[in-house]
Amino acid sequence: MNELRQLAKELLGNGTVKVIIGYSEGTTPERAKPFIARTEEDAGKLIFNKYCVNNLAVYLTRKEFKRKGTIGIVAKGCDVKAIVQLIQENQVIKDDVYIIGMNCGGVVSGFGVDDTAVKCNNCKVKTPHLYHTLLGAPVETPAKDDGHLKLIQKLDAMTAEEKWSFWEAEFEKCVKCYACRQACPLCYCEKCIADKSMPRWIESSAHTRGNFAWNIIRAFHLSGRCVGCGECERACPAEIPLSLINRKMGMVAKKEFDYSAGMALDAPTLVGNYDTADREDFIK
Amino acid sequence: MNIYKPELMEVVEIIDETADTKTFKLKFKDTDAARNFDFKAGQFGEYSVFGEGESTFCIASAPTRKEYIECSFKQVGKVTTALRKVSIGDTIGFRGPYGNHFPIDDMKGKNVVFIAGGIGLAPVRCVIWNVLDLRDQFKDVTIIYGARSTADLVYKRELEEWKNRSDIKTVVTVDPGGEDAGWKGEIGFVPAIVEKAAPKAENSVAVICGPPVMIKYTMPVLNKLGFKDEDILTTLENRMKCGLGKCGRCNVGNVYVCKDGPVFTYEQIKKLPAEY
Amino acid sequence: MAEELLKGGNAVICEDEKGRGWKRIDSPSEVRINHNEVPSNISYKEFVFSKTEPIFYFKNRKENYELAEAADGNGKIVFLGAKPCDARSVEIMSKVFNWDYKDKFFNEKAERTIVIGVACSYKDEFCFCTSVNINPASPEGSDIFLVPLDEKEYAVRIITEKGKEFISPYLKYLTEGNAARSEEALGKIKWPGKKFEPGKVREWIGNNFEHKLFDEIGSTCLGCGQCAFACPVCHCFDIVDEECSYECGRRMKNWDACQFGLFTLHSSGHNPRDNQNKRYRQRIAHKFKYYADKFGEILCTGCGRCSRGCPVQIDIAQVAAEINSTANRV
Repeated sequence: MNELRQLAKELLGNGTVKVIIGYSEGTTPERAKPFIARTEEDAGKLIFNKYCVNNLAVYLTRKEFKRKGTIGIVAKGCDVKAIVQLIQENQVIKDDVYIIGMNCGGVVSGFGVDDTAVKCNNCKVKTPHLYHTLLGAPVETPAKDDGHLKLIQKLDAMTAEEKWSFWEAEFEKCVKCYACRQACPLCYCEKCIADKSMPRWIESSAHTRGNFAWNIIRAFHLSGRCVGCGECERACPAEIPLSLINRKMGMVAKKEFDYSAGMALDAPTLVGNYDTADREDFIK
Repeated sequence: MNIYKPELMEVVEIIDETADTKTFKLKFKDTDAARNFDFKAGQFGEYSVFGEGESTFCIASAPTRKEYIECSFKQVGKVTTALRKVSIGDTIGFRGPYGNHFPIDDMKGKNVVFIAGGIGLAPVRCVIWNVLDLRDQFKDVTIIYGARSTADLVYKRELEEWKNRSDIKTVVTVDPGGEDAGWKGEIGFVPAIVEKAAPKAENSVAVICGPPVMIKYTMPVLNKLGFKDEDILTTLENRMKCGLGKCGRCNVGNVYVCKDGPVFTYEQIKKLPAEY
Repeated sequence: MAEELLKGGNAVICEDEKGRGWKRIDSPSEVRINHNEVPSNISYKEFVFSKTEPIFYFKNRKENYELAEAADGNGKIVFLGAKPCDARSVEIMSKVFNWDYKDKFFNEKAERTIVIGVACSYKDEFCFCTSVNINPASPEGSDIFLVPLDEKEYAVRIITEKGKEFISPYLKYLTEGNAARSEEALGKIKWPGKKFEPGKVREWIGNNFEHKLFDEIGSTCLGCGQCAFACPVCHCFDIVDEECSYECGRRMKNWDACQFGLFTLHSSGHNPRDNQNKRYRQRIAHKFKYYADKFGEILCTGCGRCSRGCPVQIDIAQVAAEINSTANRV
C-alpha cells in the first residue's frame, strides 16, 4: 500500500498524470470504493486490497477524463483486460493512460462479503498483462473449481423451453435500473440503444418482454467484447446471473474465432474485423 | 378518474408556420368535454399521438376564444415528428389545461410589452390575443418579436394583422443576415430592438419568452429600462411527462414547473436553483 | 392462519428467500418474516407503485380511436414482515400522488394495503432510520405490528382501525398475550445511532447548492438507477407508449430515475441537469430538502438499501453526515 501511495504521489507531483483513478476506504475497512486522487494529499488515501472489487476502467471513457491528459489508473489484471479492449476499440488512447498494475490474489465477490469472486477462480492475469508500473508481489493461488462453467454446461444441456423458462424467471426480476450497463467498462456508447426512441428498439417497460429485449441485446452487444470482469452481475440489485450469458458468448468467440477479449493490444477486435476465412457455419 | 387519460381531439385545421413548425387547430370530440373545458392564458397541455407518446406544449390560442384550442410545435423529437404526419380529420389526444397562468387581471390598466423569439411566440400569442380581445382594459400594448430569419417567423398572418392595427405597436425583427429581399421589418437581435422600442417601465408589465440566450441578454436591457424583476413575466419550459406534479422530472428546487409554473416572474426565477 | 389469509383473495407479499426483493406468495411455507437480517435489495414499493403498468389501452384504428381504462384488481395487498423503515413507504409516497391531482393507480393499491410491520433487530453500518425520525421498534406506518418474542412467537399489536378490521376474522388463531413481555422485547432492541440531523442537512442544501461536495460524489457516481429503484420511497416515473398487438397499443407508467442522463433532457438538446454532479445533488436535495419543504416528510426511511447496493459505494448517510458536519463547521 505504501508503494502505491508513494508512486501515486510521485506521478501526481511530477505531472506524469492529471489524476489517478484508484480505491479508497469505503464505509468500513472491508469495503473499498472508487476514488479519484487529484492531489498529492489525495494519494495518501489510496488503498489496494482484496476488497477492491470495482473495475475502474469504466471511468476512462467518461467525458471529464477523456483527452484531458494522462490518467493514472489502479488496475488488477481483469481490469487491464478492459483497458486493453478499450484501446483496441479506439475508445482510449494508449498514451493517455498510465496503468498502475497490481498483482492480485483475487478479490471478494461483492461489497460486504468475504467469499472470493468466481471470476478469480481460474484467473490467468493475476499479474496484469499490460502496465507501466507493477506493484505488489506475484500471488500464487491454487486454481479452484470454475463455478460458472458448470452452470453454463448445465444450461447448455437444457432444451430451448427449459432455457427460456430459466431466463424468464431471472429477467422477470429486472427493474431496468441499467446498473449493469453503467458499471460495465465496455458499455460506453454515447447513446445506448435502450435509450433510442426513434425508433424505439427496446421497450423501456420492465416487463418480461422488455427485460428480455434489453438483457439479450446487451449480451449480443458484448459478445467478443466482454472481458468477464463481472461488474454487471455485481451491480445488479436483482442478482441476475449475467455472467452466465456473457461468459457463454465469450466461449463461443473463443471456440469459433480463437478470440479472447482484451488480451492483445494490437489484435483487431472480433466484431470490428472481417476476414474472408471467418467461419460462417454457425449462422443458421 | 384516470388523470393520465387524454381527451380525443379532432385536428380541424393545420397551418404550416415554417419549414419545421406547424399550428394545429383542435376540437374536442366529446361535446361534454368541449363544454366543460376552460383555461387561462399561459397554461399548457399534453398532446398525444397514440403509439408514439405525449409531448408538452402551451395552448397557443386565447382563452377568450372558446370553440377550439390551438397549439404550435416544432419538429424535434419522436412525438413532434409523428404529429407532423397528422392530417386534417385525424384524432390526437389532449390532456389539460395544466399549470398556472399569466396574471391577466393584475395586468389590466397597465402598459404591456410582449417580447418573443422564434417559437417562443406561441405562449405569448395566447396572452396577446387575450389582451387584444379585451383591448380597452389595457393601456399601451407593444409586441416585439424576432426570429433568426424571415423563414423562421411564425404566425405571419397575425403579425401582419397586428402591424396594421393602430391600437398596438408591433415591431418584428430578424437576426442580421436573416432578412430576405422584400423584408421591411427591423434587422437586429431582440435585446437591441427592445432597448429602442419598449415603452417606459412605469406602470408596465413585460411578458417574455424565447430561447435562453435571448432571455439572458434581454433581461439586463429591461432592468436598465427600469423594469423591476417582479414586473417581468416569463414561462419556463422543462421536460415533462405527467404535467400533474407527480413524475418528478420538471422540478427545479422544490418547485414543480408543471404545477407551480410554468409562468414565473423574473424575481421568482432568480431565487430558483439554476436547473432550468 | 397464513393459509386462510391466502385463500381470502388477498395478495400476501413477503420478502423472497434470497432477499432480492419481495414477492406474492402462494403457500404458507413461503412466509418469511425478516426481522433480524439485512433488508432485501429492493423494497416492496412495486406492489403499490408498479415498476411498469398500463394506464390505458388504445385501439389504433384510423378514424376511430377508443381509449380503454386499464383494469385494476381488488382484494387486500398484505405486506407481511415490513420493517419500520419499509412500513412508512406507502404513506410517504402518498403525499406526492395526492397533493393535487390524485393518481388512481397508486391510490387504488395503496387503499388496499395492510401493512403488517415487524420490530427490527437488524442493524448494520448502513442503517440510519433514527436519523430520519423512524426507529426500529416503531409501529408507525403499520396497521398491525409484530414484536418477535422468541424464535417462533410474535406479539401481535393492532395499531390502526384498518388493522383491527382486517385481523378480526383471524383472532381465533391468536392467544391473549402479555403486554409486558412485548414491551421488554421492544426495549431490548438496539437502535442504530443517529448519524445526522435532517433539519441541518435540509437547511445546508438550501444554502449551498453549488458546493464542491456534490462534484466529488458525482465524479464516481455511475448514473445507474439502483439507488432509486431499490428505494422504498423514490417515486419518479416515465410515461411511454408501446404496442400490445398490431392494432392495439397501451400507454405505460414506468419507474424512472433522476440519476439517468436522459431524465431531464429536453428535445432541443438542452439538459438542465447535464452532469452526474447535478443529478446526484438532485437526489440528495429531493430527499432531504424539496420533499420536506413541500410535503413535510423526508423522502427517505433510512433503510440503507441505496448505499448497500450502490456499485461504487456511495453511502447516502455518510454524505448526509458529511453535510451535517460541514454545516456545523460554518
